[in-house]
Amino acid sequence: MLLLFENFFISLSAVFANKTRSILTALGIIIGVFSVTMMGTLISGLDKTFESSMSMLGRDILYISRYEWFGDMEWWEVRNRPRMRTEYVQKVKQRSKYALAVAPVMQRGASLSYGEKETRTEIFGTNEDYMKTITANIVEGRFFSQNEDRSGSRVTIIGFGIKEAFFGEKDPIGKYIKIDNEKFRVIGVLEKQGKFLGLFSTDKQAILPIGAYNRVFSKRGWMRLSVKIPEQKIEEGLDEIYSVMRHIRGLKPNQKNDFAINQTKAFEKNYNMLKIAIGGTGTFITLLSLIVGGIGVMNIMFVSVKERTREIGVRKAIGATKGMILGQFLMEAISICLIAGLLGLMISYVFSILLNQVFPSTLDMRLAGFSIFISILVGVISGIIPSYRAANLDPIDALRYE
Amino acid sequence: MSLIALNNIYKIYNVGGEEVRALDGINLKIDENEYLAIMGPSGSGKSTLMNMVGCLDTPSSGVYQFEGEMVQEMDDDQLASIRNRKIGFVFQTFNLLPKATAQQNVEIPLVYGNIRKAERIKMASKALEDVGLKDRMHHKPNELSGGQRQRVAIARALVNNPSIILADEPTGNLDSKSGHEIMGILNQLHQQGNTIILVTHEDDIAQNANRIIRLYDGKITEDLNTKKN
Repeated sequence: MLLLFENFFISLSAVFANKTRSILTALGIIIGVFSVTMMGTLISGLDKTFESSMSMLGRDILYISRYEWFGDMEWWEVRNRPRMRTEYVQKVKQRSKYALAVAPVMQRGASLSYGEKETRTEIFGTNEDYMKTITANIVEGRFFSQNEDRSGSRVTIIGFGIKEAFFGEKDPIGKYIKIDNEKFRVIGVLEKQGKFLGLFSTDKQAILPIGAYNRVFSKRGWMRLSVKIPEQKIEEGLDEIYSVMRHIRGLKPNQKNDFAINQTKAFEKNYNMLKIAIGGTGTFITLLSLIVGGIGVMNIMFVSVKERTREIGVRKAIGATKGMILGQFLMEAISICLIAGLLGLMISYVFSILLNQVFPSTLDMRLAGFSIFISILVGVISGIIPSYRAANLDPIDALRYE
Repeated sequence: MSLIALNNIYKIYNVGGEEVRALDGINLKIDENEYLAIMGPSGSGKSTLMNMVGCLDTPSSGVYQFEGEMVQEMDDDQLASIRNRKIGFVFQTFNLLPKATAQQNVEIPLVYGNIRKAERIKMASKALEDVGLKDRMHHKPNELSGGQRQRVAIARALVNNPSIILADEPTGNLDSKSGHEIMGILNQLHQQGNTIILVTHEDDIAQNANRIIRLYDGKITEDLNTKKN
């Protein structure tokens, strides 16, 4: 134990005695550790983004539409499929025993204005079941009723971002805003949710009853149905909705589905594939830079052993055993890698703080520990052969070495 | 019992298919507190003999007893241990670590002897004091003169209280004044009861010793007792 510390100090002084050389050698390891930690940080950041985005969708919702979210069908096949219709809502409700809520969702871009203020955003036309199919809540006012939908009332629920932009701290309830120049009365505000997959802000939207939506913005346009299923019955519910939809469409047993039922699972599957791709590439790059770094360390250790052949001879003459010499040089390689690892970690830390401004990234302590372990491992692997060579030098030859 | 007993020692190298007998049947006994000089022209085997006595090398055949222990049967670690505890080396080229201070250099044998830091500093300071370098303890080798460096090396050889001090041409790289100083220190150590083996090719240096051995072609050709008074 005593000797371990001694060796550590001996090797530290050797490392600091050749500062430039040590730093250049360490660069490979610094880059390696930097890429290990950044890769891990990136993936865990992606995970967080994905988790919070997925929680907006809800795992117990089936989305019926013309398109598969991640389908590999040819576009012309999909194009010829019949569109979704508002009547399906009633039909699905009647025929399905699992459907807890069925909401049609139509969507288009529109311009919203309040007084002088104007913004472009997405508007949604839906029915009173919609709130059951999303995870966000109403924070001010209320959602519209079935009657308001059927009578075509011009009321709207706005996203939190719209409320902030148009009304600030003031109460928006009962105020009239213009949607593509048509007046709508604000009756509710959705809670703040943030961006979906970092792509678009769900806080910038307006929700309209589908009755009014159809009258003002026409019935044509893209539509999907959101169907809520009990969470424990998703498999059965999915099977049932498939057969209900086939029945509605009047498909014969030998005909293929002409509609798609999507789940958040599809996102998860695709996300996991993406993650494996990023992780795999990252691991490969990281491994490569660590190997290159390790070769650099090994090279410099061979030089160090060669340069200090005489020192090794003296140490042996004075009574150093093979193990002690081995330990000394191994510790030197480990010290270089450990210092490099800590430097890499510091750089990663600063980077992750900077990156955190735009993307959720925090350096995980376990990841930091792992990268330090990796640096030590690289030190051991790249140091072992030069150290072994040093330990097995013949003291007489080593003493004579010029 | 002798401190060192070499019995029919051979060291045979194979150089390019030719057998070279560096040591050719050496018989030698060295007692405690002897002051021995080994002399001989280059190639006579005096370096090989010194390495053998210093446990840096093992014989091809023969029996080497160091304080009764059979050196020729020892493995590398046992040899390292006996060098650490029983032998102090002084080299012609000093062989100090250039980046360590005088005191740190003297501490090295103690590090390998697994002695605690506080104790090490005490012992190293004492050894440096003994060679007259009390005020130079924290200087690095390049801040010291040749004679001072060799004194640091002697302190390093002494610090473990070894059974013998092996000095290989200790004055070879020094001017005559520093050489005299070094020989003075070695003489003094001998008077204090140390056993000293000196390897040299200079007659006047060898005259400091009480016994002179001459080697030629790996054989002892002369074993002269020059004991004064």
